[in-house]
Amino acid sequence: MDRYLLSKTNINQWLAKLLESHAVYVPFESEKQVHWHRLGITDLEPGTDNVTPAQRRIRASEPVKSFMFQPRQQVGSFPEPLPVTEPAPRILLGIKNCDLIPLKVHDKMLGEGEYKDPFYTARRQSTILVAADCPAPEQSCFCNLLGLAPFAQEGADAVLSVVDGDWLLEVEASGEELIEAAPDLFFKAEDRGPEVRRRDDERKEAVAALERINPKPWKTDLPGAIAARLGDEAFWRKHAETCVECFGCLMGCPTCYCFILYDQAREKGLDRTRAWDACYEAAYARVGGGANPRAEFIKRFANRFDCKWNQFKRDYGMYACSGCGRCLKACMGKIDIRKVLGEL
Amino acid sequence: MSNPYQPIPAIILKTVDETPNIRTFSLKPEQEIPFRAGQFVELTVPGSGEAPFTPSSSHFKRDTFEMTIMKVGRATGALFDLKPGDIVGARGPFGTPYPLERFVGKDIYVVGGGVGLAPLRALFLALTHEPAKYGRIFLRYGARTPSDIVYKHLLPEWQRMPKVDIDLSVDVSDEKWTKKVGVVTCLMDEVPCDEKTSIAVVCGPPIMMKFVNQRLLDAGFPGENIYLSMETNMSCGVGQCRHCRLGPYLTCKDGPVLTWSQIRGIKDPFV
Repeated sequence: MDRYLLSKTNINQWLAKLLESHAVYVPFESEKQVHWHRLGITDLEPGTDNVTPAQRRIRASEPVKSFMFQPRQQVGSFPEPLPVTEPAPRILLGIKNCDLIPLKVHDKMLGEGEYKDPFYTARRQSTILVAADCPAPEQSCFCNLLGLAPFAQEGADAVLSVVDGDWLLEVEASGEELIEAAPDLFFKAEDRGPEVRRRDDERKEAVAALERINPKPWKTDLPGAIAARLGDEAFWRKHAETCVECFGCLMGCPTCYCFILYDQAREKGLDRTRAWDACYEAAYARVGGGANPRAEFIKRFANRFDCKWNQFKRDYGMYACSGCGRCLKACMGKIDIRKVLGEL
Repeated sequence: MSNPYQPIPAIILKTVDETPNIRTFSLKPEQEIPFRAGQFVELTVPGSGEAPFTPSSSHFKRDTFEMTIMKVGRATGALFDLKPGDIVGARGPFGTPYPLERFVGKDIYVVGGGVGLAPLRALFLALTHEPAKYGRIFLRYGARTPSDIVYKHLLPEWQRMPKVDIDLSVDVSDEKWTKKVGVVTCLMDEVPCDEKTSIAVVCGPPIMMKFVNQRLLDAGFPGENIYLSMETNMSCGVGQCRHCRLGPYLTCKDGPVLTWSQIRGIKDPFV
């Protein structure tokens, strides 16, 4: 890993250079929310800095998984097969840890093992991931309850920290081309230099802020606690009471990876699409003959907790949750999963 | 990288009506689908959807295969409108086959209900292809009425095979029926093989599986020797989409055949 400093006066110049070879996406503020935005050259007028402010905010509204595991993606056609095309190279600049960790979930489900999703894999491989520190956690954030930090821990090609408006970049070998695009703009940062110390102090403050937001840890054996509760309908009923089954919590989730394949007829043949699905959907587990093991919503509600915080942990050694807080912000019924999991 | 969602064309060579709503389709895929008994194939009915079915023919013959299918929904409804010469899509094989190496030298007690005899036929044909390797085969099969029995034309031939013993029942008989009347468990009052060492294999509707499994446990079959075909909703077939999750298992990957020992801890596994 190499450390570089990029002066605030050179940020736009560097980004303009990257735009020559890549599509670059960054978080942008819009009406107090943060959204992913495809950077254009007009965003980079000399003397302005449109990119840095949102880098210091929490994650964007849209989960980063959408770039690789798209909400809808054609994955087949019939009778002639669908070719897998190589997408144009992209850079996502400003990924928070709560969006970076979930990519590991998708890698496990779609990118590893006997059967790989070639469309996901192509998008994943053509994307450079630049993480950014998360210095100002909000009330909806709870990565600390999952043992995660408000800065990238693994999986990024480079990590950005904003220090007094300048950019400190820690670059892995896989991200070298970011620097090579305009090497003259960067200085090597000292390992124990003032910028790194400032960055480390700010990270510590963010961790402390998260502990103030979520002071009480969950049970150590969360999977075991969920397994023991599965049959306790009264418990799930109490917490599901205000759910209106809008699926907002699932559609916004950066880790939810369920999908359904569906076919659309063409004049001769069909197109096959892979679309995000939601386990709260009544027909989700219904079989052809009509039987449905989770016909009652309460079973589907408990199943979500069983899947994300029990089975996935047992199967893959990690929770299918990163504490991003989108589910509770999306919830019309004001269901806070921190409370559900805290009361197990 | 290959695309696991992409079906290959398969031509329908022949169809046989087994019952008023169950039909056997003989298919020839563009490339061989090297299935083993118990694995499944995702079948695409162009324009109407895709669904998983277990081949019912012998895995020793691979250039063509058969699937015996009941008309229950949209995809199967459209499938029944197709004729020999029409093209469907197929991808697979997926799932885990019956572990035949565990069956070597043992008696096999097979219990089927309704269209559940289809996957059991693939197993039966694999076992009888190498009769010296396995012990005796007892097939107990129940259907609603005599006309709902599948493979009517094959059963007499199977009965004549060495080391094979077949008994049938129907829930509702007609005037020509000479065998037992009742649900399939009425054929299980006496187990004709050693319950401690024999292998039991069950496939049928969930309610039938529930009671047959209980009867096998009561008879003394160990849970690890009871093989059950678990029906869950499958979409991708390759362990990704998560629809088929049954407790800690994905039936498309770990199943569709699971032992009672594997699933005993799951609440209401037969739904």
